[in-house]
Amino acid sequence: MSPSQPLPAKENALFKKILKCYEHKQYKNGLKFAKQILSNPKFAEHGETLAMKGLTLNCLGRKEEAYDYVRRGLRNDLTSHVCWHVYGLLQRSDHKYDEAIKCYRNALKWDKDNIQILRDLSLLQIQMRDLEGYRDTRYTLFMLRPTQRASWIGFAMAYHLLKDYQVAAKILEEFRKTSSTNQNKNVHGLNNNKGTDYEQSELLLYQVMVYKEGGYYQEALDHLNKYGDSEICDKLAVHEYKAELLLLLNRNKEAVKVIRDNLIARNCENRLYYTYLEQALGLTEDNEEQRLKMYTDYQNLYPKSQMPFRLPLNFVNNPVKFKSLADFYLKRSLRKGQPALFRDLKPLYSSECEKIHSKYSFKIAIIEDLMHTYRNNLKRYGSFETDEQTWGSEDATCILFVNYYLAQHYDYMKKFDKALMYVNEALRHTPTLIELYVIKAKIYKHAGNIEEAVGCMDEAQSLDSADRYLNSKCAKYLLRANRVSEAEEMCSKFTREGVCAGDNLNEMQCMWFQSEAALAYQRLNNWGEALKKCIEIDRHFAEITEDQFDFHTYCMRKMTLRSYVGLLRLEDVLKSHPFYFRAAKIAIEVYLRLYDKPLGDSDVSENINTSNITPSELKKLISKQRKAKKKASAAAANTDQSHHNSTNEKNSDKASSESEIVGEKLIPSKLERPDDPLGEAIKFLKPLQLLARERIETHLLAFEIYYRKGKILLMLQSLKRAIKIDDNCPTLLRQLVLFYDFLEKHKAELSPPVKEVIDLEIKSLIGTENVCSALELNDRFSQRNKNSLIHRLESSKLIAILQKDKDAARKNASNVINDLEKLNSVNIEVCAQMMQSVRNGEFGAVDESVIEAFRSRCHQMFPLATHFMTSSEKKLHLMNNFDKESAVNHSTVETSDGQIGEE
Amino acid sequence: MNIRCAKPEDLMNMQHCNLRCLPENYQMKYYFYHGLSWPQLSYVAEDENGKIVGYVLAKMEEDSEDDPHGHITSLAVKRSHRRLGLAQKLMDQSLRAMVECFNAKYVSLHVRKSNRAALHLYNNTLGFQISEVEPKYYADGEDAYAMKRDLVSFAINSKLTPADPASFFGSKCSNKNKE
Repeated sequence: MSPSQPLPAKENALFKKILKCYEHKQYKNGLKFAKQILSNPKFAEHGETLAMKGLTLNCLGRKEEAYDYVRRGLRNDLTSHVCWHVYGLLQRSDHKYDEAIKCYRNALKWDKDNIQILRDLSLLQIQMRDLEGYRDTRYTLFMLRPTQRASWIGFAMAYHLLKDYQVAAKILEEFRKTSSTNQNKNVHGLNNNKGTDYEQSELLLYQVMVYKEGGYYQEALDHLNKYGDSEICDKLAVHEYKAELLLLLNRNKEAVKVIRDNLIARNCENRLYYTYLEQALGLTEDNEEQRLKMYTDYQNLYPKSQMPFRLPLNFVNNPVKFKSLADFYLKRSLRKGQPALFRDLKPLYSSECEKIHSKYSFKIAIIEDLMHTYRNNLKRYGSFETDEQTWGSEDATCILFVNYYLAQHYDYMKKFDKALMYVNEALRHTPTLIELYVIKAKIYKHAGNIEEAVGCMDEAQSLDSADRYLNSKCAKYLLRANRVSEAEEMCSKFTREGVCAGDNLNEMQCMWFQSEAALAYQRLNNWGEALKKCIEIDRHFAEITEDQFDFHTYCMRKMTLRSYVGLLRLEDVLKSHPFYFRAAKIAIEVYLRLYDKPLGDSDVSENINTSNITPSELKKLISKQRKAKKKASAAAANTDQSHHNSTNEKNSDKASSESEIVGEKLIPSKLERPDDPLGEAIKFLKPLQLLARERIETHLLAFEIYYRKGKILLMLQSLKRAIKIDDNCPTLLRQLVLFYDFLEKHKAELSPPVKEVIDLEIKSLIGTENVCSALELNDRFSQRNKNSLIHRLESSKLIAILQKDKDAARKNASNVINDLEKLNSVNIEVCAQMMQSVRNGEFGAVDESVIEAFRSRCHQMFPLATHFMTSSEKKLHLMNNFDKESAVNHSTVETSDGQIGEE
Repeated sequence: MNIRCAKPEDLMNMQHCNLRCLPENYQMKYYFYHGLSWPQLSYVAEDENGKIVGYVLAKMEEDSEDDPHGHITSLAVKRSHRRLGLAQKLMDQSLRAMVECFNAKYVSLHVRKSNRAALHLYNNTLGFQISEVEPKYYADGEDAYAMKRDLVSFAINSKLTPADPASFFGSKCSNKNKE
C-alpha cells in the first residue's frame, strides 16, 4: 500500500478486492469496486485505484481509456510502486518491452525487494535477451527467496545463458545436494516418494547439458553414471548423452557398446547413431570395405529396417558392390510399391555429389541400367530376372513402379519426352494410381507448361478429394499458374467454413501458401497484395517470437529446461527459416520496383489485360474496381468492429494482446504506395544480413537497395560479401559494373577518407587495375563468360543502360541469339527471361525476324514450354493433348481386365 | 528415413507438414506447448535432405483422475512417403517414451468417423481399439471415434521399464478390484 496515499480500512478492503478481481479475471467486478472508491470525492484522485482501474479496462480491450487512467494514477502518486508496476504491465501488454522495463525499474526504486515486480522484470529481460540484467535480477530474487526452487533454477539459468558454465554447474550441484535429502524434497516441492520423479529427472539432465556445453565431459559422464539408472527416467537422453560424451572422451570401446546396445537397438532408423558408431569404430571415408561390413552386420540384425541398407549407397564407390546393393534396395522397394523411392535416392543424383565425386556419377547410370533391365524382364517374364524358375513370380504392380521411377529419373535429367512416355505407360497400366498424375504434373511443370501441370494435379486431387496433401499440391500449382483466387477456392475445402480461406490460412500461419501467393501476385504486378502476404508472414514471425513469453515461467515450473534453452536458441535465429527468406526477398524486390516506378494515385496495379480493351472501357473498368474496393474496405472495417465487440464481451486479456499482434490492418492500395520504400525494404533486409549471410541473394538485394540510396560504403560492403560467396555470379558482375559506373560519376563528390577506402578495395573487387570505363569492365566480364547465356544476357542489358547508342546493345543481343547453340546455362528460365527482355525493348529495337528466330529455336529446344509457343501453337498443343487423353482412356478400356498391355 | 525425437527447431517444420497433410491445424504456440511440456514424446521422420516427411505430436493427459495416459494430438505422414512404415516407427518411439518417462498406462487419440484410411491404420497396424464415439468432436460438426491402446502389454512385450514400475504394473489389479 502506498505510504503517500493511505486508504481507510473500508476503502483499503475494496482496493484489495480490485486486486483479487484482476487476478481472477473478474474485470467487471473489479471496475465496480474501483467505482466505489473513486466515487467518494475524498478518493476521486487516488493514484493506485486509478491505475488499477486502467489496468482492468485494458483487459477489457479499452486501451485508450486504460492509458488515461493509468497515467492519471501515476501522476497522482509518483512514489507508488503499484502505479509504476501497473504502468509497466500496461506497456508490456502493448509489447513495448523497453518502456515496461523502465517502469519496473522505477517501481523497484520505491519497493526494491518486491518479488512480483522482480519476477516480471526478469521475464522481460530474458524476453529481450538482456542477459546481464536477467542475471542481476535473478541474483536478487535468489537472495530474497533462497528456499524456492525457481530461485535456484533461474539463477543457474542466467549463468548458463551467459556461457558461464562453471558457475551455472556449481549452483545446480549445490541445489541438487540440498534438494536430494528427503527432508528437503518437500520444501522444494519435489514429491518423490514413488518411482522416478520426472522433474528431478529433467533437472539432472539439465545439469548434464550444462556440464557438456561447458566442456566438463568427465563430470557430465560421472553424473550420468551416478544417477542415470535410478533417478533419470528419460533413458534415451541418458544413452545419447553417454554415447556423445564417451566419444568426446575418446573412450571409443565403451561408446560402441552404448551405441549398439542402447541406441541402435532402440531405434535402428536414426542416422546419427550410425555416424556415432562409425566414429567410435574409427572408420574413415576411405575405409569403404570396413564401413560396409559394419552396415551389413546391422542389415542382418534388422532385416526389416531401412537405414542400414540406405546409408551404404552413399559411400560405396566400388561399382560392382554398388550395383548389388542398389539391386537389392531397388527391388525391395519396388515390391512394396513405395512411392518415395526416387526421392530417397535423389541425393545420389545431386549435382553437388557429382561435383565432389565426379568419377562416381556412375551411380546414376547403374540405377538407370538396373531399372531398364527390370522393365524388360518384368514385361517379358513377370520377373526381375531372366532365370526361368522365377518367371511370373512378381506382382503386376512392380512394373508400374519401375515406370513410375523411370519417369522421375528422366524428369530429373530434363528428358521430358521420355519422362512423359514412362508415366503415360504407367497410366495405361493403372489409371487409378494417383501418384502418377502427381508426377505427370511435375514433369509438365519442369518442362515449362504450368497449365498442363495444373490440369494433371487437378485430376490427382479430384481422385481423392479428402486428401489434403493432394489438395495443397493442386493449390500450389494453381498459384504457380498465377490463378490465385482458384487456389484459395481449392484450399477452402479444408479451411474452416464461413471464413474466407485466405483469412483462415493466415490465422493458421500457413506460410507456404502465403509465400506462393506473394510470388504469384508479384508476377501479376499486383504489388499491394504481394506486400500484404509478405507482411503477414513477417507478423507470423513476430507472433512466434512473442509465443516464447509464457514459457519463461512455464518451463521453470515444468523443469523442461533443456528444451527451454533450445527454444531460446531457436528464437534467436528464428528468421533464418527459409519461409522468412522467401517473404523478405519478395518484399524487397517489390519495394525496389515501387521505388523505381512509384504508383500514382490512380494507378491500379491489378492485373488487367489492357491490350484489347478500348480506353473508355478501361476507364469504366477502373472506376468499377475502385468502387468495389471502397465497398470491400468498408465491409472489412465493419466486420472489424463487430469482431471487436464480440471480443469485448469475452473480456479476456488474450483478446487484447492478440489484436495487438495482428496490428494495423493491411490495405494493399496503401501498401503499394509507401512513403519510404527503401526504408521498408531495409526492414526486411536486416534480419537476412544477420541470419542469412551465407546466401548470396542477401548481399545482392542489399546492393540494390544501397545503390538506390547512393550509400557507397554499404554498396562496397555488400559486394565484398557477395564476392566471398560466388565471385562469378552474373548478377554480382552486373552490380560491380554499376558500382564502377557510379564511382566514375561521383568521384568528385567523395570525401577523402571514403576515396581512400575505395581505392584500397577496388582492385580486389574487379580483379584488375587498369580499366578505363564501366563499359570496358562489362566487356571484360562478358569475355570471361562468353559461353554462358545468363552472363551474356546480363551484360547485354548493361550495354543498353550504360551506352546511349542503342545500336550496340541491339547488335550484342542479336549476337547472343546467334550463339545460342554454343552456350551453356541455356535453360527455360533464362531463355524466357531473354525473350522477355528482347520483347520489352531492353536492347533497343531488335528486328522482329531475329526475335522470331530466337523464339522458334527455343521452341525446338523446349517443345513443351509455353513460353516459346505462338498462340496458334498453344492451341494446337492443347488439341493434341486432348486427343492423347482420349486415346489413353480408350486404351485403358481395352486392358481393364488387369492384363499388362503389351506394346 | 531418419527417425528421431523432435527438437524445438523441428516444430515449425512439423507445423508446415501438418498444414500440407491434415485438416486439423494448430498455431505454433500449441506445438511449442507440446515440445516444451513433454519433449520426449514427439518424433519426426526426415528425408535425406532433412525435410520432415512425417511426425507424431503427442502429449500426456495429466489433469484427469484416471491413470496417467498419453494422447496422440496429431500423426501425419506425407502421401509421397507412404508404405515405408513410418507411422508405426514414429508411434513405437513415442509410446515407449510415454511409458518410460511418464508411466503412461494407455494412449488415446481421436479420429474422424469418415477417415477410413486412418481408422484402418490405427486399428489394424497400430493396435488401437475404438473406445467410444464423441459426437460433434470436430469444428465442422463431424463425430470422432475415441480410440485407445493399452500400454501395459506393450511395455511387457517390448521389455520396457516404466518410470514407476510399482504403480504401472500394480494398479491393474486395483482397477479390477474397483470393478
